[in-house]
Amino acid sequence: MDSAHSVTEGNLLKTILGANILVVDDMQLMRKMIGMCLERAGYSNISFAEDGDDALKMISEGMPDLVILDLNMPRMSGYEVCKALRANRETENLPILVQSASETPEERVEVFASGATDFVSKPINQPELLARVQMHLENRFMIQNLSDFHDHMQRELSLAKEMQHALLPQDSLIEEVEQKAGMVIEAEYQASFELGGDLWGLWPIDDTSFGMFVLDISGHGVGASLNTFRVQATMGRHKHLYHDPAAFLLNLNSDLVESFPLGQFGTMFYAVIDTESGAITYAGAGAPRPFIISDDNVRTLDSAGTPIGIIASATYENLTDQLNEGESLFCYSDVLIETPFSNGEMLGENGLRDLVSSKRSEGVGEKLVEKLLATFFEEIQTSLPDDLTAVAFHRTKKVAGS
Amino acid sequence: MEYRIENNAGDLRVIFSGDITFTQNVSFRNMLKDISSQSANSCVFDLNGVGMVDSAGLGMFLIAKEQADTGGWKLHLAGATGHVASMLKLTKLSEIIEAS
Repeated sequence: MDSAHSVTEGNLLKTILGANILVVDDMQLMRKMIGMCLERAGYSNISFAEDGDDALKMISEGMPDLVILDLNMPRMSGYEVCKALRANRETENLPILVQSASETPEERVEVFASGATDFVSKPINQPELLARVQMHLENRFMIQNLSDFHDHMQRELSLAKEMQHALLPQDSLIEEVEQKAGMVIEAEYQASFELGGDLWGLWPIDDTSFGMFVLDISGHGVGASLNTFRVQATMGRHKHLYHDPAAFLLNLNSDLVESFPLGQFGTMFYAVIDTESGAITYAGAGAPRPFIISDDNVRTLDSAGTPIGIIASATYENLTDQLNEGESLFCYSDVLIETPFSNGEMLGENGLRDLVSSKRSEGVGEKLVEKLLATFFEEIQTSLPDDLTAVAFHRTKKVAGS
Repeated sequence: MEYRIENNAGDLRVIFSGDITFTQNVSFRNMLKDISSQSANSCVFDLNGVGMVDSAGLGMFLIAKEQADTGGWKLHLAGATGHVASMLKLTKLSEIIEAS
């Protein structure tokens, strides 16, 4: 991390004493008095301006960390300086400590209204001035520190997000499978935080079949996302089992049980699809039940099973089904059925099935996911509470004679 | 999520209400501390008043199960209906934690 900004409590005082303080006063005696007061307290970087114009010019040449500002000055008053500084994006958060002799309640209100951070009365009480200077500098450096840390984390998360998106199937792979399989693949992936615990993927197995999975790691955010990398790496070690969903899940599970922390697991669905016959062989590990959608009905696949990463003794079973021409296989993560809609009710599996049916009958065809999610996002009241994955495999009808 | 613990001579019943999701992580762990301080023989999680449990919630049940095994008490899930019942069935959690 940027060491220049990793201000810890120990070196905060040192940073403060090195802060650049600009004292603005038209009376030389006052500038001298405040300057000496600050120097005696250990401040080493003090500059002086004789009036408002002078002050703004100096600030534009080098940003101070704090301004100690007199109110009554010729040419440009302290009020105007405050307003000018607040109107400028670069100085809108610069601490301004105003000092003034006259002190009616109305004047105090006006001082704060024009943008001052704080107020000290003249004649200056030196310990009070120093206490306020120190407090505002501490705040400034701590906020700066937090803001730097925030920016740093944001950059790190963005990088991690790119890495995670690279785990998802790339467009070229999707197109390759679409062409070979005579299908249209629609996929949407959104993390609720920068990083997510969802993943989906596909891979060609041979000339006439491909495998596809959806995975949802329990929880979400950074922890869950690290587990998606773990699962992805482990899946690659079982390529020889890609054709056998139950064996694939069994081996994946036994590899992951040891490394998954207690209370974390992944629900999964893995299917092998024969592109000539449309036969589906699949095994479930507790993922939401996928749908097979045809013109007249929506049926569910039995994806019940022990999620991966919980117990070594979990077993999985191969089941079969059929994806006919004109039908769609739809897999989704639980956020679609568990997020409350504007009526306060969550959709549930039945609700989602009804919604999918009605979209299908509207003739959305190969834009099912797109249209479904448009409705979903219109309906939910909050931001996405969990990661979202929705993938549809539309098996196109062969045109006669082709 | 809210909960109430009834202790009948070491046989505990935790009556939950509301949702058990990712955001209840801290209160769930506090509840587990509560249970372990009551030297339980057994504990029933009564889920009848729970409308929704997400994957993180299921993970908390697994943590409770681990704590039960370590602490030598029996954990039992009861009363799940609707979405909660489907989640337990879908993830076959009843094969790991006794449920009725």
